[in-house]
Amino acid sequence: MVLLVSETNDITTNEVVAWLNAYGATYQRINNDAYARLHRVALSNTKCNIQVAGIDPSCLKKVWHRRGSLRFLPEPLRNVTNLYPYLKKEEDSILKSIEDILRGQHDYVGSYHKEIENYKIDHLINAKEADLRIPDTLITTSKKELIRFFNHHEGIITKDIRYGIKLHLEDGKLFSSGTFVVTQEMIDTMDTDFGPTLIQEKIEKEYEIRIFFFKNRLYPMAILSQNDTKTAVDYRNYNREKPNRNIPVLLPGEIKEKVLQFIELSELSTGSIDIIVSKKGEYVFLEVNPQGQLDWVSKNCNYYIEKDIAEYLIAN
Amino acid sequence: MTINPDLPFVLISNCIPVKGAKRSAICDLTRSEIRLIPNDLYDILDLHEGKRVGEIKESYQNKHDAIIDEYFDFLVREEFILFTETPELFPKMDLQYHEPSDITNAILDISEYSSFDPIKVLKDLNEIGCKHVEIRFFRSTNVDELQPIVSMLNDIQASIISIDFIVPQSPGFCKENVIELLLQYPRIASFKIYNASTNEFIPPVDKQRGYIIYSDTILKDQRCCGVIDPSLFSVNIKTFTESLKYNSCLHRKVSIDHLGNIKNCPSMSKAFGNIKVDNTEEIISSTEFQQVWLVNKDSITTCKDCEFRYVCTDCRAYLENPEDLYSKPLKCGYDPYTNTWEPWANNPLKDKAKAYYNML
Repeated sequence: MVLLVSETNDITTNEVVAWLNAYGATYQRINNDAYARLHRVALSNTKCNIQVAGIDPSCLKKVWHRRGSLRFLPEPLRNVTNLYPYLKKEEDSILKSIEDILRGQHDYVGSYHKEIENYKIDHLINAKEADLRIPDTLITTSKKELIRFFNHHEGIITKDIRYGIKLHLEDGKLFSSGTFVVTQEMIDTMDTDFGPTLIQEKIEKEYEIRIFFFKNRLYPMAILSQNDTKTAVDYRNYNREKPNRNIPVLLPGEIKEKVLQFIELSELSTGSIDIIVSKKGEYVFLEVNPQGQLDWVSKNCNYYIEKDIAEYLIAN
Repeated sequence: MTINPDLPFVLISNCIPVKGAKRSAICDLTRSEIRLIPNDLYDILDLHEGKRVGEIKESYQNKHDAIIDEYFDFLVREEFILFTETPELFPKMDLQYHEPSDITNAILDISEYSSFDPIKVLKDLNEIGCKHVEIRFFRSTNVDELQPIVSMLNDIQASIISIDFIVPQSPGFCKENVIELLLQYPRIASFKIYNASTNEFIPPVDKQRGYIIYSDTILKDQRCCGVIDPSLFSVNIKTFTESLKYNSCLHRKVSIDHLGNIKNCPSMSKAFGNIKVDNTEEIISSTEFQQVWLVNKDSITTCKDCEFRYVCTDCRAYLENPEDLYSKPLKCGYDPYTNTWEPWANNPLKDKAKAYYNML
């Protein structure tokens, strides 16, 4: 049996499930909003036994952790405002332990652990280890360091270290998950010291590549956005009138090897890698998202990734 | 972007040129647009992809430089091509087509003569993995009758993603009631009310729910279907790849007429069984039922020479030659040999077929 952990409206999971049905596979899908009973994590000197959501562990062959996580907190407890943050932290800890245990026993693709601890710096270090070119990067709280970095590069950008900006302020909301260019004017307005901030050299790109990967299978898609000022820095600043051209692309053999090496070093079984092909033709690693979107890659390139995933999950 | 004379060009791989008898069409499958091009440009794209513009001009002995520049200006403006040092890294898109469901779409007709239980039919369709169902009422109905139908789909967590209703106007189908129904059931993709006193389009309430159409059209029977019109062309990867192999109108579709007859299409006379006595799944799995699925555009007279053949809706119910399954759709007024559109009904050559289908 295959266990799928996801969210109710995740279109990708729905499509993989359609394929699992077509192949007559047995699976159980547990969504983030449902309550999954934690029967036991039973430990002794002779055994480590886990049972979750009525699933017989001996029947479990593969797990695909697509999105979200199991929820062990019964529904009523999720609404107790004072108690919830504490209970959630406790739940979080056991979720991670269970994932680690199951990973040791089963073929477990995707990870709650990795999604939560998705640190850009760690990934950049792994990319560097894999001999992929990375942008010069600085994390600092010092304006002096920032200015030095700024003066040293043609252009610089900033983005989050881990968490996209999602602030509820008194005078409104502030959201940003994107990347933007840092200008002299912006720096002038900054204090001598500030919160830890990630800045990177700006790479002039020929085009971007999004590589969805599932185990060792890579699905690269080129995002041709350079002609369009709206999307020139970050394709997520979407242009609705004239959408970017998103097309199948191949990686040069040597780059492919390095990407696979990165995946191995980062211990990720699935995810989405962002790479820039610079004007000079260099492949520059930007970041990886452990629960990355694959729907648009699959549809724009006619890759049928969902079918491949279903076939992987039911294969012996 | 402008023409880059120093670099080879490649076509954007989800923009696909299709050659017709007299001109070609570039099917932009992600922007859902069609651009018409001369066959000369089709040949250039076909023969010279991966070369520099200068090389292409040379291969025509520099006799047509101006026109080649004009062609490439157009290709650049439409973002159909990319100039790159590494053309070998931009492969053609795989034109594979797969579909997990045996049946993707179903039409269910209900009239005063219907004696089957629509809920049971829907459960059967759901078992087969059907994704979209359109239910057409040729008799009056009301919210109390429709609600349990959709509600059942929720209860069984149906694979049927969307349901479309076509119903005659009745006092119960005022805007408020219909909107409330749509808000309650996200599965309802559209709600169309014919015989209405007004013509009105009500867009989805919160962009995720279904839309509503009130129309003063009188819906008598199925013979209104089958018109071929550019506004109905479906310019996307799924339809394009499906059309390469299968019939774009009928592949993986089933219809249950008001008497329960299982057909390929409500407008076709041939019934393969009846839901009251036969097993729907067995019927649709039969080679006989699926025969028309394999009638792709490349095998249809005239259509096989048409530049719109992989984005066209086709129609197998009304044919120019009713005796020939591979005949051009009767209600197509396009001539790919002259590139002209004419109202199909005005063509005297079609009178014989119109008489056959009782359309005169």
